[in-house]
Amino acid sequence: MITSAVVLGTLVLWGTLVGLDLVSVPQMMIARPLVAGAGAGLLLGDLGAGLVVGLVLELFQYAILPVGAVRYPEYGPATVAAVAVAQAGGGGATAGGDRGGVLALGLGVLVGLITAMAGGLSLHQLRRLNARVVHAADAVLEAGDPRALARLHGAAIGRDAIRAALVTGFGLGLAWVARFAVGTLTARDLALLDAVAIGAAFAAAAAGLLRVVGTGTQRRWLAAGLAGGMLTAWLA
Amino acid sequence: MKPPLGVSLLRLFAVQGSWNYERMLGLGVGVAQEPLLRDLRSGNGDGDGGPVYRAAVARAAHFFNAHPYLCGLVVGAAARAEHDGASPEQVERLRRALCGPLGSIGDRLVWAGWLPLTSALTVAAVALGAGGWAVAGFLLVYNAGHVALRWWALSAGWRHGTRVAVALHHPAIIRAQGLVGPMAAFAAGWCLPLAAVWLARPLPPWGMTAAALVAVAGVSALLAAPRLTAQRLGLILIAVALVIGVAWP
Repeated sequence: MITSAVVLGTLVLWGTLVGLDLVSVPQMMIARPLVAGAGAGLLLGDLGAGLVVGLVLELFQYAILPVGAVRYPEYGPATVAAVAVAQAGGGGATAGGDRGGVLALGLGVLVGLITAMAGGLSLHQLRRLNARVVHAADAVLEAGDPRALARLHGAAIGRDAIRAALVTGFGLGLAWVARFAVGTLTARDLALLDAVAIGAAFAAAAAGLLRVVGTGTQRRWLAAGLAGGMLTAWLA
Repeated sequence: MKPPLGVSLLRLFAVQGSWNYERMLGLGVGVAQEPLLRDLRSGNGDGDGGPVYRAAVARAAHFFNAHPYLCGLVVGAAARAEHDGASPEQVERLRRALCGPLGSIGDRLVWAGWLPLTSALTVAAVALGAGGWAVAGFLLVYNAGHVALRWWALSAGWRHGTRVAVALHHPAIIRAQGLVGPMAAFAAGWCLPLAAVWLARPLPPWGMTAAALVAVAGVSALLAAPRLTAQRLGLILIAVALVIGVAWP
C-alpha cells in the first residue's frame, strides 16, 4: 500500500525510469512488465504482488512487436500503477497460495491497460512534438553544429522523462480511485475480474505468438514448447 | 578500445532519445557519431571545427531508421567512410542502404528472437518459483547479449567502413538468426502452461473455467479480427466482467 509521500515519490521515479527505458535510454528492458512490476512490488514491500501483475501484463506485451514506427501501448509505467492497485487489495506475497494474494489483480490489470493506452498516446504526441522541434531547427542541424545537435537530443530525452512521469502519475491517480472500488466489490466479483484478466492475458499472448511465429517451422517449435510446458507443469 | 569508440558506444544507448517522425533516429545517430568525427576538425578545436567536420556532423544527423541495437554499424561505418575521404553522396548512399537490412536483422534477432526467448524463460522461472531472482537473471542475461550486440555493431562498422556489408554476412549473425527464432518459439510455448497453472491456482474452480473460456474466445477474436488489439480486448472483457459483477446480486 502507498503509505507515505516517500513511497509515492519513489514509485513515480521508478515509473519515470521505466518509461524512459522503453524508447529513449538505455533500453535495458526495465520497461518490461515483469521487471517494472518486480521493482514496484519491492518498493511497496510486496515482491509477490509485483511478480503476479508483472507476469500478467508481460503476457499482454507478447501481442506487441515494436518494429519500425509502429504505435503500441506502453506497459512499463502502467505496470507500476497496476501493482499499486493489486497490492492494495491484499498483496501477492504468496501468490498462487492464498486467495488474498490475487484479489485485486483484475482491477490492477484494468488500471494497467488504461494507463498503457495513455502511455502509447503520449509517446505518439511526443514524437510529433519532437518532429516539429527538429523541423524548426533544420537550419542549425544542416550547419552541422554539434552543440545544437546535442542540445536538441538532450531536450527530447528531458521531454520523454516528463512524459513518463506524467503517465506514471496518471496511472497512480487511477490506482488511488480503484483502491476504493476494491472495498466495494465482493470476493466473488474480484475473483471474476481476476479470472477474466488472466484469460485475456493468455488470449493476448497466444494470438501474438501465433502471429510472430507465422505458419512455418517456428509454429512447430511453439507446439513442441507447449507440449513440453504441459509436461513440466504436470511433473512440477 | 579507442576512447572515441567508448564515448560513441555510451551515446548509442540513447540513440532513440529524440525519435521523431521526421528524421526518426537521425539525431541520435548524429550525436553518437560525433565523437568519431572529431579527428576531422581543423585548427586546435577551439573554433567551429571547420567545414569538413561540420558537414560530416550534419550528414550524420540526417534521416535514419533501423533497429536501435544495430545503429552502431552505421555510426562506425559512416564515420570511417568520412575519415577515408568518401564523397558525401557515398556516405548518404551507405546510410540509405543500411536502413532496411539493419532494421530487418535487428527485428528478427532481438525483437522476435533474443527478447521473447529470455522473457519466456523468465516467465517460466517465475512460475516455477524462482521469484525475484528470475527477474535479476533476465536483466543480466538479456543485457549481456544487448551490450555485446551494440559493441559488435559499432566496432564492425568502424573496422569495415563502406564495405560494412561484409559484417552483415558474418557466419555468427546468420547462424544466430536461424537459431534464435525457433528457440524463442519453443520457450514461449513452454512458459505458457507453466504460467497458466501458477496464475490460476488461487482461483475457484468456476474461475479457472471462466479464465479458460475467456482465453479461447479471446484468441479466436484476436485472430479473426486483426484490427482488434489485445489491449482493447482486455479492457472490454474486464469492463464487462466488472459490470456483471456489480449487477449480479
